[in-house]
Amino acid sequence: MLKQDDRPRERAYFQKIKVKDAVGLTLGHDITEVRPGEYKGPSFRKGYKVQEGDLCHLMRLGKRHLYVMDLNENQIHEDEAVIELANALAGPGVTFEAEPREGKIQLIAAYDGLLKVQVDPLTEFNLIPDVMCASIHNNTPVKKGLPLAGTRAIPLVIERDILDQAVSVATASFPIFAVKAFNTVSTRLIITGNEVSEGLIEDRFEAIVSRKLAAYGSTLAETAILPDDQDEISSMVRYFLEAGSDLIITTGGMSVDPDDVTRLGIRGAGVDRVHYGAAVLPGAMFLLAYKGDTPIVGIPACGLYHPTTVFDLILPRLLAGELLTTRDLARLAHGGLCLDCATCRYPACSFGKTG
Amino acid sequence: MQDFETLLKNSAEVHGHLCPGQIVGVRMAMLGCELIGLNNPRQLPQIKKIIVYVEIDRCATDAIAYVTGVKLGRRSLKFIDNGIMAATFINLETNRAFRIRSTEKSRELITDYAPEIKDKHLRQLEAYKQMPTDLLFKIQTVDVKIPIHNMPGPTRFKTICQNCGIAVRDKKEVYQNEEILCRSCAFGAYYRILGKKNHANAGALKAFNYEPPFRKTPC
Repeated sequence: MLKQDDRPRERAYFQKIKVKDAVGLTLGHDITEVRPGEYKGPSFRKGYKVQEGDLCHLMRLGKRHLYVMDLNENQIHEDEAVIELANALAGPGVTFEAEPREGKIQLIAAYDGLLKVQVDPLTEFNLIPDVMCASIHNNTPVKKGLPLAGTRAIPLVIERDILDQAVSVATASFPIFAVKAFNTVSTRLIITGNEVSEGLIEDRFEAIVSRKLAAYGSTLAETAILPDDQDEISSMVRYFLEAGSDLIITTGGMSVDPDDVTRLGIRGAGVDRVHYGAAVLPGAMFLLAYKGDTPIVGIPACGLYHPTTVFDLILPRLLAGELLTTRDLARLAHGGLCLDCATCRYPACSFGKTG
Repeated sequence: MQDFETLLKNSAEVHGHLCPGQIVGVRMAMLGCELIGLNNPRQLPQIKKIIVYVEIDRCATDAIAYVTGVKLGRRSLKFIDNGIMAATFINLETNRAFRIRSTEKSRELITDYAPEIKDKHLRQLEAYKQMPTDLLFKIQTVDVKIPIHNMPGPTRFKTICQNCGIAVRDKKEVYQNEEILCRSCAFGAYYRILGKKNHANAGALKAFNYEPPFRKTPC
């Protein structure tokens, strides 16, 4: 259903008048000037109030008539309205362009971090007639300057009470858009597996985990390689916790084979809660445990073979300081299926876009 | 705009000495202003129409600031710490912007333009005065999206750091671990406080003390 009827409302505000009569009135459109080899662009912008001194300039540009807008105090031009909308939508870590372009303003990331979108309030905002805001997905890692959302007043002129209503909905749930900065965390890695521990194969997990951490500004403080031994894994988790780790990552041993004891080792370390299993493919046997606020992550072996897994969805949220629950892991279901493309395009795909 | 020699003399006086950087900076700024169509940027109304991004903090930067009249306090001078002898000149009214970079080639050409001068320093000065613009500079037409929080004008955004209680203006706060923090509290400060810390205001802060609407008055 469209939010508004298709009446050509704009026409009511436009008036075609002679240039000489335009002083003090507001232009309804941009006026482009071309000076060959020198300049092409708008000499006068939509919304500009025509001055006495502009008349000669306009005549030189060949203008004999103009569309002007005749607005009353309850009617707000789209370029003015959209600044109010953007201001109400942009929370901490979110800024926006100073000048609307074609009536739109882009909200952009003020720094690198994790985009947080309050989806339900955003929907409420979009239920208000004559305004809109479209965004990228919640929980997307973003770089400084990346466009996060675009907003605009839909008609050329919006009524003040509707604009106020939209601003009110946005500020009531403020911030609808925010960017959480990533923490630089002290991370330690436990690689489990008899085959690696005994030197039968060379570990590849450390390089993968290091690279993924580095993307968010963190590095590995320490790495341990252990056999599939529940007690040794428990001891090492405890040791790493006491060493002051902010994040502990374990790899391998998450499956159901008799030698897959990593999750038992994590449980045995005296953690407070364990979430085993995530609604994501690849990564169904993912584990997330907490000791206090310190997360302990278990990456299943799929992390070696697939470029993008559940770990890529969870890691930025942990680095942004989020405490995740079983429900958070279950919510990943919608959008949790990786299509395993020949060339991975993540994050420019449906993977992890839980809506 | 005043002539080159007058601008150079005054710029060198403000900067503290006459050096090659002054000549490069004055020439770059005069060229930048010409490209964006401003001939009197140090005074109203043009003073409100110009923003310059400089990419280095060396002698030329002061010359650029002098000629164009841009200042940090007016928010018309932006410093991007790239270590590159370049500056971007923006006309806010027309949105025209040009990035001008001093070429490395120009340094090699010094002897070609003032070979008769034996003193290296004086030879540099004269050569940079004589060198054609296309050898001295590389010019790029660019588009610069300036976010609203970096625009001149009254303070539009202000919040309070939930850790130290200090006011943070212009969207420079950081949202970290459910808290709105100043950059020093979020990422660490460039200074180390000697003696006792003073976080007297921190306890009185609410959990989420953020001011979304525009502030109407400067603060």
